[in-house]
Amino acid sequence: MAIAAPEVDVIEFERGKPPAKPIDPITARVIAGALDSIALEVGHKLTRMSYSSIIRESEDFGVALLDAKGRQICECSLSTPLQLGPIPGYMQGIFRLFKERGDSFEEGDVIIHNSPYHGASHGPDVGFCVPIFYKGEVVGFSFTTAHHLDVGSMSPGSCGIVDAVDAYAEGIQLKAIKCYERGKKNEAVWRMLRDNIRASDMVVGDMEAQVAACQIGAQRYAELLDQYGRDTVEAATEELMNYSERMMRQQIEALPDGTYSAEGHIDGFADDPDPSKRDQVIKVTVTVDGGTMTVDLTGTAPQVADRAINMPFVGTVDIAIYVTLRSILLDQATHEYVPQNSGIVRPIRIVAERGSLANPTFPSATIARFCAGNIVADTLMRALAPICPDRVAAGMANMKVIAYSGVVNQNYWVYMDITEGAYGGRLGKDGVDAVDVLYANTRNNPIEDIEAHYPLRISRYELRTDKSGAGKWRGGNGSIRDMQFLGRAHMSLEGDGHRHAPKGGFGGYDGTPGDVVLISAGKEQHLPSKFQSRWAEAGDIIRTVSPCGGGYGDPLERDPKRVLDDVLDEMISPESARTLYGVVVDIESKTIDHRGTQELRAAMSKQAVAGKA
Amino acid sequence: MKLAGVDVGGTFTDVIVVDTDSKAVKIHKVPSTPDDASEGLIDGLRSAGDDSMGVEFLAHGTTIATNSLLQYDGAQVGMITTRGYRDVLHIARHQRPLHYSIQMEVPWQDRALIKRRHRKVVTERLGPKGEVVTPLEEEEVATAARELKEAGVSSIVIGFLNSYRNPEHEERARSIVEEVYPGAFVTTSSSLFPQFREYERFTSAAINGFVGLKVRNYLVHLRERMQDQGVKAELRLMRSNGGVATEEFAARYPATLLLSGPAAGVLAGAHIGNACGRDRLITFDMGGTSADIGIVTPRGISEATARDTWIAGYPVLIPMIDVHTVGAGGGSVAYTDPGGAFRVGPRSAGARPGPASYGLGGTEPTVTDANLVLGRLRADHFLGGAMQVKRDLAENAVAQLGSRLGLSTLDAAAGIITLVNHNMANAVRSRTIQKGHDPRQFTLVAFGGAGPLHAADLARSLGVPEVIVPNYPGITSAMGLLTTDLKYDLIQNEFMLDGDADLDRLNRDFKRLDAEARAQLQRDGVPETSVQILHAADCRYVGQGYELRVPMPTTELTAGGIKKFWDDFNRLHEDEYGHAFPGNPIELVNIRVVATGRLPKMPEVPPPSGGNLEDAQLDTADVYFAGEDGKQKAYRSQFYERTRLPVGAKIEGPAVLLQVDSTTLVPPGATAEVLKTGDLLIKV
Repeated sequence: MAIAAPEVDVIEFERGKPPAKPIDPITARVIAGALDSIALEVGHKLTRMSYSSIIRESEDFGVALLDAKGRQICECSLSTPLQLGPIPGYMQGIFRLFKERGDSFEEGDVIIHNSPYHGASHGPDVGFCVPIFYKGEVVGFSFTTAHHLDVGSMSPGSCGIVDAVDAYAEGIQLKAIKCYERGKKNEAVWRMLRDNIRASDMVVGDMEAQVAACQIGAQRYAELLDQYGRDTVEAATEELMNYSERMMRQQIEALPDGTYSAEGHIDGFADDPDPSKRDQVIKVTVTVDGGTMTVDLTGTAPQVADRAINMPFVGTVDIAIYVTLRSILLDQATHEYVPQNSGIVRPIRIVAERGSLANPTFPSATIARFCAGNIVADTLMRALAPICPDRVAAGMANMKVIAYSGVVNQNYWVYMDITEGAYGGRLGKDGVDAVDVLYANTRNNPIEDIEAHYPLRISRYELRTDKSGAGKWRGGNGSIRDMQFLGRAHMSLEGDGHRHAPKGGFGGYDGTPGDVVLISAGKEQHLPSKFQSRWAEAGDIIRTVSPCGGGYGDPLERDPKRVLDDVLDEMISPESARTLYGVVVDIESKTIDHRGTQELRAAMSKQAVAGKA
Repeated sequence: MKLAGVDVGGTFTDVIVVDTDSKAVKIHKVPSTPDDASEGLIDGLRSAGDDSMGVEFLAHGTTIATNSLLQYDGAQVGMITTRGYRDVLHIARHQRPLHYSIQMEVPWQDRALIKRRHRKVVTERLGPKGEVVTPLEEEEVATAARELKEAGVSSIVIGFLNSYRNPEHEERARSIVEEVYPGAFVTTSSSLFPQFREYERFTSAAINGFVGLKVRNYLVHLRERMQDQGVKAELRLMRSNGGVATEEFAARYPATLLLSGPAAGVLAGAHIGNACGRDRLITFDMGGTSADIGIVTPRGISEATARDTWIAGYPVLIPMIDVHTVGAGGGSVAYTDPGGAFRVGPRSAGARPGPASYGLGGTEPTVTDANLVLGRLRADHFLGGAMQVKRDLAENAVAQLGSRLGLSTLDAAAGIITLVNHNMANAVRSRTIQKGHDPRQFTLVAFGGAGPLHAADLARSLGVPEVIVPNYPGITSAMGLLTTDLKYDLIQNEFMLDGDADLDRLNRDFKRLDAEARAQLQRDGVPETSVQILHAADCRYVGQGYELRVPMPTTELTAGGIKKFWDDFNRLHEDEYGHAFPGNPIELVNIRVVATGRLPKMPEVPPPSGGNLEDAQLDTADVYFAGEDGKQKAYRSQFYERTRLPVGAKIEGPAVLLQVDSTTLVPPGATAEVLKTGDLLIKV
């Protein structure tokens, strides 16, 4: 009996071609700098004009300019990578829908789009697109995306909608809709948005800010064409993409050819009786072949058709891979800044089986795909670890996103809180503590801002200590954040990393999984890493506990001085110093017992050797 | 009256001494003495003439606070904070400093201003309206202070949540700490600047604690040294907000001195431009490693948004002049990166090895080298002939870069200048076009060692029609010190909506802040008649996170006044962002009082007595500029001795004006004229 091989989809790009008109290196740089400053201006104005904290404080937005083919030519360095990377995908989705419908771009149009099966990252990340006209022709697109507080999902807020059974349950689906046509506001569309979205004053205010910001970008790009001439600017942008491609390809070429793989797991739905909904595997196989790298996700668990943790192949999975690869191979801390554009991804091929978690089929729900994407990123990093040990981190601690909401005077308030993860240890450095990880890079919201504006109190916000993965370079500490409710409120949460500890690397120990605890009337109840629509009463506390990152290298090789510092800073306990690191600390005198340490470490190494034998 | 301005920078100490009666001006530049800056200060004063030791008023710009922070060389600091929030300084805003990096450093974790072991928590809690939720456990404060004292901490920061609404707990804790640990340097977060956003406020307080003792000790030492040398002058310290403060105030709030030097530069640019009858100015101070840019409009000098101000990777929530620093200077290195792109800066060759032409081992071409290759700088006139440089070394370095880029040596040199100018132009655009200011209405005021050399090109690329080059471009910042006033910023949080604004409360709060400011100025010895008070408020549409500052009347606020105020906000929002949302509710977040006490100033001084135009002429030489076809072409250019130019002299470009501390370039097509102030006006 023949078993049909599952169908696979591939994301790949052609190599860049030299610009049609030669461009001198000076003009190329001048235009590159001008493009950066346009994108920065648009981003700056978007954050300042926007209403909800998710954009203006958390900076969960993206800004890019695209050429007429929809290729990204620049991005705003302020915004989060997970918002930026997908913009060309949104654009291709809009092109596809326009083609299907026979629609065309007109001067003065503004297009709103959020379909994850047409390039959007997920429904709440709503994209706005302004076609840029120059002398009567479309020469490019000014694009912004932003995470919105609510998109009319089945329960309030735009995160933690983990139980959505399909794409329709996630909220309003906007498939390349003209919200302005030839400069005229399409009032019906805006009315529908207002009527179908909670906290609509805020959300629609943010959308208007996005439109205004896009228009600034379009105006500035046209000014640039006026200044340098269209063919010069287009030659420069072509060269800019080729440049980024070259930089990435050089790095891949320097890696040894071969195939490398790793596996990771997500929690899935820990409390679900169906085992197929728990502990799904994410499989990553990397093939380096000269200047091309293929990242193959074959073997990753099948999609969960009636739950929302599936990851859009274009929009989430590809971005997790691109962002991770460039962070490792073109690390900004150690490399020249390489512009993020459509050139940088050309050397990378991505393969995934259709119908898997990493390549779901419509109408599977995708709105809560965030944490799974981080596991794709983390697993990819571990696959690459053997060939670039000096550039990776050990296993990272995943994040949590929570929507809080309530009704006052028949109006919703919705607030979204993002709690941080941590990095694993790195060669020569400990993991970063309590920080946004890998493919997003949001900011927390000041406690004083939250308390002044919502019926919420944050009663604790500290590091989670003594739980990081031991190593020569230890994992980062997560955080503990207690949110207390002043009145009855509704909440939904999506997180991950409660069932699978961040992995240690190169002899380092695993980190510690995370937790969520509901504290009500003095009783503690542990909750799973994903839940939708729970109610909390006045005085209740929801405690989010981040996982702690994995260790890097043998903890017995950690500099005892660093161990002492950690003990004095109460990052680890004296017991951990002894049992994990083999370091004896005299707390009274705040010194290391060197002889005791030597003896203990010798005994522990012997034991380890014996254990292995 | 005799006034002195002394700007102590990293390399040089610049001194200007002015006699307001005789209008005599003396300027001098001496090497700085980094180990003890007061030495250079006294040396500089003395070298400006024996009688300059008798100055009555001395305004001082110092980098001591900045360097302490940049070099991570400060006090052991301890913190006392609210229980449950020990790690606010460590978690920060949980955002990575770089998007695409695994190996990144995180300043607030890798270079913590306060170690975790020195962050103590105490029981207390204020609510978001400043109400006491949990009273302060005073015994815990005393215990924490004792523990910190035993741990060898010399500076203690007190930062409680929501203290921006009510300083009571922090103030009570301060007195307990001062009792338990006399001599400790204590900073409370609400006294430094009571703005919401706990991480930023606590960090600003931590910076104050970190740099505090260094600044305090320096000021004490400086006063002693001045006394030893018989200098009895009143001392005023330049602050980041463009005002000065007394020693006592500066020693208490040293974090307000972080931009001491650059702020003085912007003030000087504003003063010079205003004296020439211009009120829209771009001040442009370009030196060896960086260029500082400031903006002046008829509303005054632009201030930074507190939320956009970062120093050494830490946020600083303190009012500052908006000085935009770009890594572009004479020493900026030009190179090709691994992808083959042509780049200039921000890396600088510094003073050692310095540009290739210095012959001190530098092999990479710099902006200075490119200027030598193009003939814009003269090897035989470098720093007025005080320094030997070699043009052939510059040419070799630039030629090598050119060969990698497929460019001739001249084209590569011109490319270096184009790119460094464009980096600066982008920085200027971010503060002009992007804020709704049209550069075509502005005048560029160019100073610093390299500013006048790049100004005309920069102006042209921005569409700015004219450039002013001051008399003494190299000591302009020191001059700026003599144009300032005592200035205090006070702030009070309000969180009030336009729908139900409480005018009584606003009037009451303004009155209280006014009184506080007047009392401070009275303590500083300023007569009532020399005090000026300005009112403003920070507003945003409800829900927004960034505020705009809108002026308010200083008279009693009326219903009509507040209505006009809301309209002003809508208009400002439109100006600032290109868009407004009239009709949406507005939130008044803070009120602000800016109080200034007028101080003696730089008088109008006659220009240096020039001779006639012929006397000023040196020789002619080839200087390269782009011709009409865009190709580099040699132009025979006249060189002049700047200080010999008479008032009213007119010069057609191409020409180069030499003086000891700077070189001014007048490109082909531009004309220069010596104004009656002695400053040079270039029409580009």
